[in-house]
Amino acid sequence: MSGRRDMTPAVGTPGGPASWRRAVRGAAVALSQRRWRDAAWSDIFRRDSGYLSDAPPDPARVAEANRRGRAQAPDVVDGPIMKAPVWTWEVPVYFWTGGMAAGASFVAMACDLAGDARSARLARRVVLAALAPSPALLTMDLGRPERFHHMLRIVKPRSPMSTGAWCLTVFGALGAAAVGADLLGRPRAARALGATNAVVGGYLGSYAGVLLAATAVPVWARSRLFLGPIFVSTAVLTGAAATRLTVSAAGVPAGHPTRAALGRVESGAMAAELLLSELNRHRLGPLAAALDDGAGARWFTAAQWLARGGLALRLLGRRLGPRAEHAASGLFMGSALCFRFAWVRAGRSSARDDEAVARTARARRARR
Amino acid sequence: MTTRAAPGEVSVRREDAPRMGFFTDTSVCIGCKACEVACKQWNDLPADDVPGDGRAGSYDHTGALGAATWRHVRFVELLEPNPIPLPDVAPVDVAAAVADMDRWVFMSDVCKHCTNAGCMDACPTGALIRTEFDTVVLQPDVCNGCGYCIPACPFGVVDRDPDDGRAAKCTLCYDRLQDGMEPACAKACPTDSIRFGPYDDLVEIAQRRVAALQDRGVAGAYLYGAGDEEAERLAGGLGAFFLLTEAPERYGLPAQADSPIQDGVVPATLAAVGAGLAAAAGVAGAFRFGRPARGVGALTVVAAVAGAAELARDLRQRWRR
Repeated sequence: MSGRRDMTPAVGTPGGPASWRRAVRGAAVALSQRRWRDAAWSDIFRRDSGYLSDAPPDPARVAEANRRGRAQAPDVVDGPIMKAPVWTWEVPVYFWTGGMAAGASFVAMACDLAGDARSARLARRVVLAALAPSPALLTMDLGRPERFHHMLRIVKPRSPMSTGAWCLTVFGALGAAAVGADLLGRPRAARALGATNAVVGGYLGSYAGVLLAATAVPVWARSRLFLGPIFVSTAVLTGAAATRLTVSAAGVPAGHPTRAALGRVESGAMAAELLLSELNRHRLGPLAAALDDGAGARWFTAAQWLARGGLALRLLGRRLGPRAEHAASGLFMGSALCFRFAWVRAGRSSARDDEAVARTARARRARR
Repeated sequence: MTTRAAPGEVSVRREDAPRMGFFTDTSVCIGCKACEVACKQWNDLPADDVPGDGRAGSYDHTGALGAATWRHVRFVELLEPNPIPLPDVAPVDVAAAVADMDRWVFMSDVCKHCTNAGCMDACPTGALIRTEFDTVVLQPDVCNGCGYCIPACPFGVVDRDPDDGRAAKCTLCYDRLQDGMEPACAKACPTDSIRFGPYDDLVEIAQRRVAALQDRGVAGAYLYGAGDEEAERLAGGLGAFFLLTEAPERYGLPAQADSPIQDGVVPATLAAVGAGLAAAAGVAGAFRFGRPARGVGALTVVAAVAGAAELARDLRQRWRR
């Protein structure tokens, strides 16, 4: 609250522009005319005013004029054309924690399939721990946090924000139930719940990419086929890294197959993330400037250097011992967080780049 | 010819309610901003909080549509001579005098009340609804300020007020409409540049206006948002459309637009869910089929090569600058 503006309405309730309720049921407003006829009084629309052509409308001629008018290339783009997203730091941090939970749910299922029940239990706890701050982060980002429950007011398959909120709810419930089953000593139930959660996690880890892609922000919209897969890679990377650190801290020895497998998952996810990002950047062409120069550029640079550091440690891992391996996992997690910030921030500067918005809009039809 | 929203979208039903809209004719707009003031007054909107937002050098102090600005008269300050043939009035050489002047165009911008409304598709709470007049209205008692409608609007209309916390935009004066009255901006417009009425009537008027202007030599007059063939409609047809004379970008309008969600959510979701399931399978595979690695492992090498390639491109880019 800046406190400089008075937000109190002069009339009506603070909930709306004005009261839409009538004092007397069915009463008409004074001076109003039926069928909005008060809108058609002006002099300009007299038959002989010269404002309109006397001929009946010619739709073909107007359609042709519209085509020509919209096709003419502008010398200048007078912005702003669109509004930049208003999301603050909570959203990328949530993308990170939610992704971590989704990735850990994959790991829990994989541990179960590989027969390592102890690591699976730990992974299910990582799921719950990573998920715990997510609802708070999402609520903090709302303009009206006290209305957080309105997110579950309706089910709207069309809106990724709605499907995501529902997915998070289901995922959280299943994750809590799985950990509960573990605590109650019901391994079969825990396994079944964990496996279901991994399937739900397939959407939880990727929907953030859909959410960003289904907007008019050029750099997000044009990355729409890659954002989901990139976000899944980040999710797997963080989930595996967090689980690897947890499992190691819980005393699983260095040569254990689960630790080795988690290391492989981390490397694979990092490779996928880097390759997909590179491919996407290639496809974006000049729009990639939003990634290189915009508000996300620093975050991208940080993410890339953290990833490079982690990979270097991994390559030298054998010689440096387990500490270096853990440090690499930590660097990967940091890199993933920076990637999340980078993508969200890049969208903000891309939406403010009027030239890019105009160009992307013009290219729209050609793509169809 | 009529463009109406899908019947399943309509939240408020009323027999014989026609689609209502605005036809904003920029060729008669004088830039008085009476519509902005009338809108603020009727809808009880607070002041904008934009002192010194970098619009120095422009007479347009409002800048853009926003959460507290539901009508915005955009000043397009063109610096080219007027191409329209002018009457010869002795003894002043009108053509020469006008050629020396800057040419201005004004456009009273407003929510377009799209047939395919991106904001409404995005809204997770159901705060944004389609009314019986086919307009798109945001219910302030439902909105929780998630902000997703903002990047989902290709026209940059809806915005979240930092002090209020909720998104807000033009309602096409839904409260007045229900009582049979025209919206406040149209009522206040002194030149009737803002024309309000049943959508089909407006389209007919607009088409005849384009013909009149073109016959008079304004060859560049066209409609933005109405009268297009089906494949070329903007967001399925705009409930509030405009008569323009310059390229759309001069008015801060995109040349093509549709609901970004209807445009992209299906391919994006398919790619994302496919990747999610593939990732789950990949993780399971890494556990199942991996041998205890000697050395660094093939995947790490692949990742390192990808990282090195990226680093090389990065350095090359920096070098070029």
